[in-house]
Amino acid sequence: MTTTNSFQAIIDKLCHASQREYQNPYTTIEWPVGFDKSEWFMSPELLSLYGTETYAKLSDEQRTKLSFYEAVNFFSLNINGEKALTAGLAQRLYKKGNAAINAYLHHFLDEENKHMIYFGGFCMRYAKKTYPDKKMVLPHTYAPGEEDFLFFAKVMIFEELVDAHNLFMAKDERLAPVVRTINRLHHRDETRHLVFGRQLVKELFVTHSPGWSDEVMRNVRSYLAAYLQATWKEYYNPEVYNDAGLAMPYKLQQQAFHSDHAMDHRRRIAQNCVRFLLENNMLTEAPRA
Amino acid sequence: MKQASEIRQTIRAWVEQTSGKLQPGELQDTTPILEQRIVSSLQIIDMILMLEALAERPIDVADLKPGAFKDIETICQTFMGGPSR
Repeated sequence: MTTTNSFQAIIDKLCHASQREYQNPYTTIEWPVGFDKSEWFMSPELLSLYGTETYAKLSDEQRTKLSFYEAVNFFSLNINGEKALTAGLAQRLYKKGNAAINAYLHHFLDEENKHMIYFGGFCMRYAKKTYPDKKMVLPHTYAPGEEDFLFFAKVMIFEELVDAHNLFMAKDERLAPVVRTINRLHHRDETRHLVFGRQLVKELFVTHSPGWSDEVMRNVRSYLAAYLQATWKEYYNPEVYNDAGLAMPYKLQQQAFHSDHAMDHRRRIAQNCVRFLLENNMLTEAPRA
Repeated sequence: MKQASEIRQTIRAWVEQTSGKLQPGELQDTTPILEQRIVSSLQIIDMILMLEALAERPIDVADLKPGAFKDIETICQTFMGGPSR
């Protein structure tokens, strides 16, 4: 792919920043031996059940226990998303036509691998597991440029949602310090990935979409809207409710996902990302929250 | 847990509702729902949640064989343990 001068300048700047902030993931975090039952691991306002009748009836201890498993779920969905992301980035590294972005793809891969070390370190130390991925990729025939565009657009959507959570939790002093640190470290790298992602997604769309048929364009738009909703679904995990000792986890999942509070919450968190997609004509209407 | 026939009916109703483009009676138990794009890859997440609720146990996608969501018949055999109607 060819890049504009302004995008090349952004790539150079991002590469320098990544080199400057390069870290050893094995020495960056001090892992506590254990936690107190009263500690929070995910901000209460970000819990999937927050604002529901069920949440209102929980004791403080039940709420902090729920916050532990919700944090394990949040970190797991990051690991699952980053596994797919690193596989896709590795496929594109040194691919013909990608010379302009190779240098940054190296940093992107390196930093995503470090994030998985942080997230996996927490999950495996304290929960002894991660929650499995429920997304599936099925074989599909793509129009020219469509696969690359969708790959980076999905990365951007996923990272925008995650980053809004990271930013909030990095500053939340109610949370266990190690959780704040993981969120802070992730946010620090993600700000660069988001700048790169937005610019690249725009360039790919401008380059390739004029050659797409109306049907391809319609499918791309509906896929992006469906991806946003599918990504949100994974924040409402019945296994989390079960592990937190809550009854009827599948019913809770339905109630929580469809609650007015949850829909407002999702709209708020996703608003910047949706605005970007609308302003750049990648979507023509805001998707269902 | 629900009876096998009730489960099959629930799955069929879910597919019809999710697709939104099927004519009454068009969906057979052997209709290839992914190949014909009646259900998309991203809607599989919803289907897994629905199947988990029916089976009352989590499903690990990594353990699934290719084609597990091919059609309603295969889904019933894979996740509900039998072809009962």
